[in-house]
Amino acid sequence: MKNYTDITNRANELRWEIGESFHDSIIESIYSEAAAISSNTVKTSKNKDSYSFDAKIDKILTSKALGFPIMFVLLALVFWVTIVGSNYPSSLIAELLLDNVHPWLKQISSDIGLSYFVDGILIDGAYLAMAWVVAVMLPPMAIFFPIFTLLEDFGYLPRVSFNMDFLFRKAGAHGKQALTMAMGFGCNAAGVVAARVIDSPRERLLAIITNNFSLCNGRWPTQILIATIFIGSVVPVHFAGLATAAAVVAVALLGIILSLVVSWTLSKSILKGEASAFSLELPPYRPPRILQTLYTSLIDRTLFVLWRAIVFALPAGIVIWLVANINIQGISLAEYFIDWANPLGLLIGLNGVILLAYIIAIPANEIVIPTVLMLTVMTARLSGIGEGAGVMFELDSIKDTTTILQAGGWTTLTGINLMLFSLLHNPCSTTIYTIYKETKSVKWTAVATFLPLIMGFTVCFIVAHLYRLIS
Amino acid sequence: MDNEVFTTLVGFLLLILLLLFFLPGRGLFSKWKRALLDSKRVRIEDALKHLYDCEYNNTGCSLDSISGNLSLKRDEAAGLIQKLQSLGLVSLGRDKIELTGEGRNYALRIIRVHRLWERYLADETSIHASEWHERAEDVEHILSAEQADELAAQIGNPLTDPHGDPIPSSEGKMPVKQGVPITQFCVNDHVKIIHLEDEPKTIFAQLVAEGLYVGQHLRIIEISEERVKFEVDDEVIVLAPIIAANISVVKFDETNRVRRNLKKLSELKVGDGGLVVGISNLIRGQQRRRLLDLGVVPGTKIKAEIQSLGGDPTGYRIRGATIAIRKKQASQIFIKEINE
Amino acid sequence: MNNWNLNNKQMEQCVNCPVHNIDNLVKLGINMSNFDYVIALAGNPNTGKSTIFNNLTGLKQHTGNWPGKTVARAEGGFVYNNNNYKLVDLPGTYSLLSTSTDEDIARNFILFGKPDVTIIVVDSTRLERNLNLVLQILEITDRAILALNLMDELKRNNMSIDLRQLARELGIPVVPMEARQKKGMDELLKYVDEVSSGKFICKPRRLKSLSPKIDNAVNELSKKIKEQLPNLPNTRWVAMRLLEGDQQIIDALNSGEIGNLEPSLKHAEEPV
Ligand SMILES: Nc1nc2c(ncn2[C@@H]2O[C@H](COP(=O)(O)OP(=O)(O)OP(=O)(O)O)[C@@H](O)[C@H]2O)c(=O)[nH]1
Ligand SMILES: [Mg+2]
Repeated sequence: MKNYTDITNRANELRWEIGESFHDSIIESIYSEAAAISSNTVKTSKNKDSYSFDAKIDKILTSKALGFPIMFVLLALVFWVTIVGSNYPSSLIAELLLDNVHPWLKQISSDIGLSYFVDGILIDGAYLAMAWVVAVMLPPMAIFFPIFTLLEDFGYLPRVSFNMDFLFRKAGAHGKQALTMAMGFGCNAAGVVAARVIDSPRERLLAIITNNFSLCNGRWPTQILIATIFIGSVVPVHFAGLATAAAVVAVALLGIILSLVVSWTLSKSILKGEASAFSLELPPYRPPRILQTLYTSLIDRTLFVLWRAIVFALPAGIVIWLVANINIQGISLAEYFIDWANPLGLLIGLNGVILLAYIIAIPANEIVIPTVLMLTVMTARLSGIGEGAGVMFELDSIKDTTTILQAGGWTTLTGINLMLFSLLHNPCSTTIYTIYKETKSVKWTAVATFLPLIMGFTVCFIVAHLYRLIS
Repeated sequence: MDNEVFTTLVGFLLLILLLLFFLPGRGLFSKWKRALLDSKRVRIEDALKHLYDCEYNNTGCSLDSISGNLSLKRDEAAGLIQKLQSLGLVSLGRDKIELTGEGRNYALRIIRVHRLWERYLADETSIHASEWHERAEDVEHILSAEQADELAAQIGNPLTDPHGDPIPSSEGKMPVKQGVPITQFCVNDHVKIIHLEDEPKTIFAQLVAEGLYVGQHLRIIEISEERVKFEVDDEVIVLAPIIAANISVVKFDETNRVRRNLKKLSELKVGDGGLVVGISNLIRGQQRRRLLDLGVVPGTKIKAEIQSLGGDPTGYRIRGATIAIRKKQASQIFIKEINE
Repeated sequence: MNNWNLNNKQMEQCVNCPVHNIDNLVKLGINMSNFDYVIALAGNPNTGKSTIFNNLTGLKQHTGNWPGKTVARAEGGFVYNNNNYKLVDLPGTYSLLSTSTDEDIARNFILFGKPDVTIIVVDSTRLERNLNLVLQILEITDRAILALNLMDELKRNNMSIDLRQLARELGIPVVPMEARQKKGMDELLKYVDEVSSGKFICKPRRLKSLSPKIDNAVNELSKKIKEQLPNLPNTRWVAMRLLEGDQQIIDALNSGEIGNLEPSLKHAEEPV
């Protein structure tokens, strides 16, 4: 093998002679050629109208007076449309899958004489979990993703980043973190990967660690349902949708604020540093092709997300049924845990059921709500509602659910804290794995995993005690 | 409800304890980590570095300068020299302490890590200039030669540290020293800063505070016993000679490229345009390359187009595209106004 | 001004010609076993690379109107005129000369992935800025096609591009496209076929206007490299990388792997 050290040595000497302006100088040369080529080939008509359309929209979307209100209204609108629009289809799907298909399956199972165990695991565990997830996930996703994709194709996201940059700069972070957060509303794992657009490693880590504060689609069902029960139901019926949306938007906003606050704190502590450079190309506005977008976002995104939820729900359903049905001395595993965890849960304004649900839901946030409801039924030993231990029951009326939850000892505090805890807890396992892949660091993965969890416990603890001290 | 108040108190107490323990920089945890650094080796390495500095700058090294530089007592310093000699790293002449070949290589390795780390901090981390040196002082004793090579590769094998000092190559090669203190030049000379001495720290801090940086072009206005006065980027700076002596410069003959009557990009009002003249050397590494790639090179027409609702960043029209740039960077891009 | 129209006509003619017809395209999705050629889609961010990728492979890479939508490499396959192609969609990049991590994937693939043809997708409304990357890519490969995308926006902004002149300046085929409307795919495929099979020989433009000081250094080093590695085609480019302190090239040289660069450079001519 030849040795080329004389080449590299000579190169090093030459580098000293040329100095550090080499790169500048090369790019300068390239651009001067680019300019020459372009002036030989591109013809711009003297008509000054080009780009004026974009400029006009930009003036409005980035104006001091309207920039933030528009951003806020759009966010609220997206949530409101999603919540209101998915209400009816959700109950329709629930009715179909739970009220009709489930009994039918049970009938078949008893006809062919499946054993209690197999029947329980497959139909009362896996199938019900899956049915539940489809009912609560499909409609909101089918509405959210197309709207979001339309905004994305139009070119609005870079403007959000442009507008929010000054906040991120003050937090020591990068304006493109806003883009990763927007991706995070769809899925945190996608948001974490999107953080690659940030050049500075420190700021990229900030974006990765705080992405969990973007309320991902898996957590919406929890937010929407709990907000409907505890907030939507206390206002007059016409405003229920609006109040629910407002509550969910409030939590989402809290998430945005927290990611700024946490970025700031980290920038002052373990990820010390000032905000570095920010450069972002603002693309032209492109009128989206609406039908094409609707179609592709439905096929590519919604079904993809739904598929993932189902894949996680099936085994989770089995686990839920098992912990609820494996008894030791007449008491199920679930009850052991819940009794044991209840004091801690109550201390932070939640309860043992919720804690167990969050443990079972580590693989995917989507299954929190089904688990919570099922376990509540079981521990409250409600007769007549739900179909016995380990069976997730149908949610065809909000009132039923309310009754169940109240019988399980739920108060408004539990509702509020569940919404907070749903925002502030460890990322799902897929996201944790993605964070590890992106950072290649156990330390930062651990920080990203436990920081929100600790915050969740702290915030819930404080809220619980303030609430109890006041009331 | 006494119980409630009690649990609340306990909870907050726990939080505070946790914070105390893990407080970055000052918490018990980080104190413990720092104590793990082997203080003996650190001393040896610091002494070698000092000896190399003396050699490079052709200023003799003495027991006094060593004890002063490492803040050791005289007899401690003498012990240290003996230790170095027994390790074969220095040889003692009559009234001279000299590095052996091995000692020089060792010193260069430490210096390489130090300067690379400073460069890394400057280019990639946005940590403030006043902290680079301090942090590199710690890291130089921790990073191995291999890790240093990896770091160098990652940041594009830089030639100099942010103060303008050359970084020794991994084979221990160093270019010959360039530049002389600004105090040795004459009135009306055009010079370029190639080095800002980073020790003593207070003087370096003052130079940084004046906005001076390596690569800057100056025109000397006055040199006297009392003061050194020069013009830089349209500003006049006056320094005491003692302080100015920490600026090393080389003569710069392309007088036409000295930046005069320039504006900063950040001063452009929305709707106004200009012609890029250059990017200040304060923008380095990745950030600099990014700006260049986007087309911010000398001669580029640039126009301020929109301002974000917070007033910063601003979107500039550059070669047909709108690029948002923060004020901090824009204030390091020099432009000439064009009259259209 | 009428170049675009002129080319529209060309495109129409092409639809009618027997060989180069979009009907000869079979989208293979992720199935790309036994491919004959590897095609890379490179370009600045947000120029429509993923849109073209989806058009050709039938896959569903996410697209979106902001720079940085694609952050990982995606691969797919298609058959055209009885040849199997593997198509690689790359994240957008502004430059090959930077060391920025987010652009590593694109950079590495263009340099070391040995694509047979590199389709450089550019935003026709921002041609000058896009040419920065184009000229850099042409320094390393001589099998490239310029996909001049977003022609609809060019028209909307009352601009026009002299396509023939541009092709002459760059020395590679130039294809006007509207990827979202699936326009221009025929001609692109035609050139992919011709360039990959060697029917069309590109004569890519190489940088001419380096400053004298740098030019001297590059020449000296490149001569030295040529002495020791007579088979390495584009020594000037390798010299430039060494002068920049590019560790990948230094390593490739030191480990003797520099030959790995040869396949992707094999047709490059050394400009003297
Ligand atoms: N009007 C118009 N829009 C287009 C055309 N081609 C692509 N687009 C749109 O341009 C945007 C960017 O397209 P992408 O395919 O995601 O671009 P990309 O080059 O893959 O971008 P990155 O992955 O960020 O590098 C999308 O919103 C497309 O719908 C075109 O010919 N005309
Ligand atoms: Mg893409």
